[in-house]
Amino acid sequence: MTTSKGVSLAARKRFRLTSDDLWGYAFIGVSMLVFCIFTLYPVISAVETSFLKYRPFGSQYIKWQNYAETFKNALFYKATKNTLVYTAVVVPLSLLLAFSIAIMILPFPRKVQSVFKSIYYLPGIASGVALSVVWLWIYDSSPQGLFNQVLSFLHLPTQNWLSSSKTSMLSLMFMALMSGQGSNIIIYIAALLGIDNSYFEAAELDGATFMQKVRYIVFPLVKPTTLFLLVTGVIGSFQVFMNAFMMTGGGPDNSTTMIGLLIYKNAFEYSKYGLACAQAILLAIVIAIISLLQFKLMGVDVEY
Amino acid sequence: MKKVLSILLAAMLLLGIVPALAETDTITVMVPPVTGTYLTDIETWANEFTAIHPEIKVEIIKTSWDEHNGKLTTLANAGEAPDIAEVSYSTIGTLVNLGVGIEIDKYMDAERLADYDQNALDYMSLEGHVYGLPLYITIQSIGANKDMLTAAGADVAKIQSEGWTYKEFLEVIKNGTTDNCFGFVFANSGVTAADFISIFGASAGITNDFTADLKYAYTSENMLNLLKAVEEMTSSGYMPKYAVEAGQRMVMCETGNAMIFGKAMPLFELNINKNNAALAANDGKAVENSIHVNYAFLPIPTMEGVKETCFGSVDGLVALRNKNTTDEHLKNVCLFLDYLCSGDRAAMVDSTLLLDPVCKSGREVYAKYAVTGLDEGNAACAAREIGLVVAPPSGVSAEQSTNARQLRDEVIVPKFQALLAGEATAQQVYDAICQEAVKLFGADGCANGLI
Amino acid sequence: MASTGLYSQHRNNRGLLHLRNTLIALVLVIFAALALFPIFYMITSSFGPAVSTAGNMRTIFPKRWTLDSYVAFFDFSPYSLRWIGNSFITSVSTVLGNVIFASMAGYAFAKIPFKGSKFLFGLILVAMMIPYQVTQVPLYILVVNKFHMSNTYVALILPSIVTSYNVFLAKQFFASIPTPLIESAKLDGCSHPGIFVRIVLPLSKTVLAVMAINTFMSSWNTFFWPFLVTSKDRMYTIQVGLKTFKFANETLFAPMMAGATLSALPMFILFFALQKYFLEGVTIGAVKG
Repeated sequence: MTTSKGVSLAARKRFRLTSDDLWGYAFIGVSMLVFCIFTLYPVISAVETSFLKYRPFGSQYIKWQNYAETFKNALFYKATKNTLVYTAVVVPLSLLLAFSIAIMILPFPRKVQSVFKSIYYLPGIASGVALSVVWLWIYDSSPQGLFNQVLSFLHLPTQNWLSSSKTSMLSLMFMALMSGQGSNIIIYIAALLGIDNSYFEAAELDGATFMQKVRYIVFPLVKPTTLFLLVTGVIGSFQVFMNAFMMTGGGPDNSTTMIGLLIYKNAFEYSKYGLACAQAILLAIVIAIISLLQFKLMGVDVEY
Repeated sequence: MKKVLSILLAAMLLLGIVPALAETDTITVMVPPVTGTYLTDIETWANEFTAIHPEIKVEIIKTSWDEHNGKLTTLANAGEAPDIAEVSYSTIGTLVNLGVGIEIDKYMDAERLADYDQNALDYMSLEGHVYGLPLYITIQSIGANKDMLTAAGADVAKIQSEGWTYKEFLEVIKNGTTDNCFGFVFANSGVTAADFISIFGASAGITNDFTADLKYAYTSENMLNLLKAVEEMTSSGYMPKYAVEAGQRMVMCETGNAMIFGKAMPLFELNINKNNAALAANDGKAVENSIHVNYAFLPIPTMEGVKETCFGSVDGLVALRNKNTTDEHLKNVCLFLDYLCSGDRAAMVDSTLLLDPVCKSGREVYAKYAVTGLDEGNAACAAREIGLVVAPPSGVSAEQSTNARQLRDEVIVPKFQALLAGEATAQQVYDAICQEAVKLFGADGCANGLI
Repeated sequence: MASTGLYSQHRNNRGLLHLRNTLIALVLVIFAALALFPIFYMITSSFGPAVSTAGNMRTIFPKRWTLDSYVAFFDFSPYSLRWIGNSFITSVSTVLGNVIFASMAGYAFAKIPFKGSKFLFGLILVAMMIPYQVTQVPLYILVVNKFHMSNTYVALILPSIVTSYNVFLAKQFFASIPTPLIESAKLDGCSHPGIFVRIVLPLSKTVLAVMAINTFMSSWNTFFWPFLVTSKDRMYTIQVGLKTFKFANETLFAPMMAGATLSALPMFILFFALQKYFLEGVTIGAVKG
């Protein structure tokens, strides 16, 4: 470590690249090329478009007008609030859920572990569209909806699930929690299996309890994973749009309109593509700030 | 960044990936399955057309109903719109606003244009320019179990031939409501709530988004009357208090759980007859627990002081601008566009949907394709309703049309859903709509009082 | 039994151990039943007759079991099987690309101290934050208009051959491999490719398997992009094909669920094929010793 740092300092003075630099570029080369062409270029183009009254033939440069319009739009604020609430509930809860399940799967023999893992992964493999049709029946507002049948069985009044602004958001959150855990659980298990047994052995000698081991060994060691799941979870949740699109269309009374849905509608239904880009960039800025906070709070990288 | 791209591009050109420029003119057409057989039919028609015009090639892009508009707008935004695309008339404003609409009246013979009915062409026009050709006028109204309706004291033949009032309607659905049957069921869950507003808008006297003098119509007192009627129907229990899924409405009628259902179209007679046949054959293909139903297509009831109309929507094909568009190309595009929307093609599509053609050449050959053995009362009612459809006023701008659409999606439908859920009163919903409408169209641009 | 050091408490009391495990299993089973219900219902109802059912008639098991819906799917288009093949080619290529290139990039970002590493990694993260709804149009212009690649496998595969998400995933996992391990290998004269292939990859089978299955799943389930860049039946992926299988004016439950079940099947197989890798813990201790 010290040697390579010394070399790189000297090299910087002479503006020459070290072998580490060269290897680094070689390793990221293909990824960066693909990234530049298929991700960065469209992103830059979207930034450019956010300053345009976009038309495929003859766009007009309108400076900050799209941004100004966004800030004047009451629905944008409502959608932002909905998205924040959704994210603040769904992301931490899914991580907690995934972590708890992953930890609960561990004490079993391998065969049993496999079975549980497969079971929990299964809901994630079916296409979202088909599952949302099933969920529509589960949430059906008529007395024949599955949840309403359960409620009637318990002698409780039936609910208007997705059609009432009181329950629509809760319904979407519950659906997200029940269907999106498979991948998180698998990633957590991968991280938990990576923890070296010697840490636990050492802790045992000190007479640590189960909770202490989780608190002082497991938590810190799965931090990079938690950080990864948190950041990608927040990004995903901020951009969520399929569920609202399929299940409620944003209603009732815009109680489930999320920013992702708003952007989609502006871009594809009202031909306000420039406005959609501006909103997307504002959204990205919000996500970036939140992610940065997460990196700061969680520590950048945890190394052994 | 640009450098990298241009190098890549140059490499690809050298490799000859870019196809050689063809001498023939290629027309791209993007359509969803307008009828069950449309996607295969259109291939046949394209072959017939290219046999007459060997210098033109046709490429067909098939889409699905759900994603048709998403793909169309993406392509249009990219400057790669297909030359011809299927649209509902309400999408035209968006496309024109985007700068990809083509005023086809400039590239078509006036004589050919005259083949199409003016009221249908009006739907395909904005500010006096025609942007596409109509395939059909769909009439959207309500349908019912005829025998139940008679039992509830309704004179079906009279209603079908003369229309009925909202008061009469209310009385009938009250009589038709029993412990396990609703007098009236309307699919209004999620985005389908928009259908209710359009269809019952006609009942309250709102025929289009804009009035004849181009003022926004949903701020009129008629809208308040409509909202109050909805409040009345849901709170009385003649109509479910909960949201009904689109796929459930006809099934509920087929199983005897609903007397009148909406939205309904004349076409549903075929679906219901098919189910009746399956019941008779007992082959397990019928809807579970369904009963024999005689379908009655009904006009929408009319509220007091309102002239009877029917909600209609026009679907058709539009010509669009893309990077290859030249005047010469557009002439060919319009030639094919006209071919697809007229004559046997139009007659085949319209007969499958049990709708009357909207062009003379289609009507001339319609008899060849007409479906027979259907209820005469329904057919007469459908024909009468088509005559009651009011075309949108001329002179609506693309901007107005887009704004109206956004207002519908972002304010009217969401607030209306709240009304259905019993979370807002008719007055509250009405006030919210007026407030937002004034922001978009200005106080002068909104209708006041009864229209 | 990997990593059971965490659960050493009741090792000496078999009765208590069994009780504890039974309780945990019970919780897991209850939650699993809830999570599994939608997909379970999807599979059972796909074997039902292809008729509409009223809401009050829906049952968890179909009243009559038949394969009608599956037959209908394969009869629907001469390309039905090809669609599955197309999806397979696309997904497998995407998985290979991601496993190779994302793990390489992840290694570089985690363990090679090169100039600009922080900046470039930050750039990748930030780009992830722009919703795809707005990048779709420029991407489409690029692929279809500039590169003329519509209706090709390249257009289906290339834009996602290595994703930012996977680079991030790989980086986070490789970061937990002890740096001294890599430094000592370097002192032994091992070059970066050598370290990557001989030390990092063998230690990372689990995360690579996770990456493979996740990438396969998202590639297999993608709808909008393949829908945009294909216009010819024979180039459709299964997801695009399934959409055309839907009939206008009626949603027939069974055929739709049959399509969804069919398209989920390959992922299920792949998942079981990769199972054993998920269970391999990283044996860093042994290497360190």
